[in-house]
Amino acid sequence: MEGKRTKVDIIGDMLSSIVGKGGQIKPTHLMYKSNMSHGQMKTYIDDLVQKDLIKKVKKNNFDYVIITDKGHEFLQKLREMKEFERAFGL
Amino acid sequence: MVQVVFSPKWFWGKDIFIDVIALLVLLSIAVFATRYYKIKKSKNYLFLAISFCLIALSFFSKILINFTIYYQVLHTKVIGSMTYTQTILQSSEILSFSGLFLYRLFTLLGLYMLYSIYEKQSKANIVLLIYFIIVSIFFSKEEYYIFYLTCFILFAIISNRFYQNYGKNKEKASAMLAASFSVITISQAFFMLVNFTKHFYVAGEVVQLIGYVILLTAFVTVLRHGREKNKGRHNR
Repeated sequence: MEGKRTKVDIIGDMLSSIVGKGGQIKPTHLMYKSNMSHGQMKTYIDDLVQKDLIKKVKKNNFDYVIITDKGHEFLQKLREMKEFERAFGL
Repeated sequence: MVQVVFSPKWFWGKDIFIDVIALLVLLSIAVFATRYYKIKKSKNYLFLAISFCLIALSFFSKILINFTIYYQVLHTKVIGSMTYTQTILQSSEILSFSGLFLYRLFTLLGLYMLYSIYEKQSKANIVLLIYFIIVSIFFSKEEYYIFYLTCFILFAIISNRFYQNYGKNKEKASAMLAASFSVITISQAFFMLVNFTKHFYVAGEVVQLIGYVILLTAFVTVLRHGREKNKGRHNR
C-alpha cells in the first residue's frame, strides 16, 4: 500500500491533472482528480499561483486553473525525480 | 614503502582517463540527487548525493596521485639528476601516503553512506563501522588488497539491494543500475590480485570503465524516461 502523499506528491498530482485535461481545468475537477479537500486545494492553488506554476483565469464566466511554462518544467523535473527514485529504490 | 603505482607503464594515462570518466558519471548523479533533494527535502536524496560526491572525490584524489607520479616524479627520474629526483621522490612519498589515505577514506565512506541508505542503522552502529573503515584503511597501507576486499563486500551488498529493487519494480533502469554495480564489484576482485601481475590492474580498470558506462546509461535512461512521460502528457 502507498504511504501518505507528501507535499511534492500532491503538487505533482495537481499539475498532472491539469496537463491531463489539456493544460486547463476547473477548480472543482482539479479537487476530485487530485483527491483533495476544498480547503486543502485552496491552499495549494494559492501556493502554486505564488510560485508561478499555475494561473487562475476566467473563461465564459467560469474559473479555470491553467498550467504555466514554469509549471510544465517543474512537472518534468518531478517525473524525472520519480523515475530516479524508483530506479535507485529510494 | 607504500605501493602506489599498480599500473604497467604502457597503461599510464589511460587509467587516468578511465578515472576521469568515472568521476564525471558520479558527479552528474550527485548533482541531480542534490537538485531533487532541494525539491523533496528527503534525506535519502541528500545521502545519495553525498555518497556519490565522496566516491567522486576519491577518484579525484587517485587522479591527482597518478598524474603527479606518472608525469612529474617518474619523468624527472629519467631526465633529471639523482639528487633532484630523490628530493622529489621523498616529497612524493608524503603525497602518495596522504593521497592514498584520502582516496581510500573517501571511497569507503561514500560506499558506507550508500549502504546506509538501504540498511538503516543505529548511531552506535554508524560510529562502530566508521571505526572499522579507518582501521581497514590503516591495514591496507601494508596489505593493499584489504581495501579492495572491503570495497568488494560493500559493492556486492549494494548491488544485491539494487537487484532486490529491480525484483520489485521490473524497471529497465533498475536492472541496469544493478548490473553496473555488479560489474564494478567484479572490478574490485581484479584490483585485489594486482600483486600477481599488473595486468590485473588493467583488467580491473577496463571492467570498472564498463561498469561506469552502464551506470551512465542507466542514469540517462532514467532521465529520458521521465521526459518521455512528460511529453506523453503534453500531447494528450
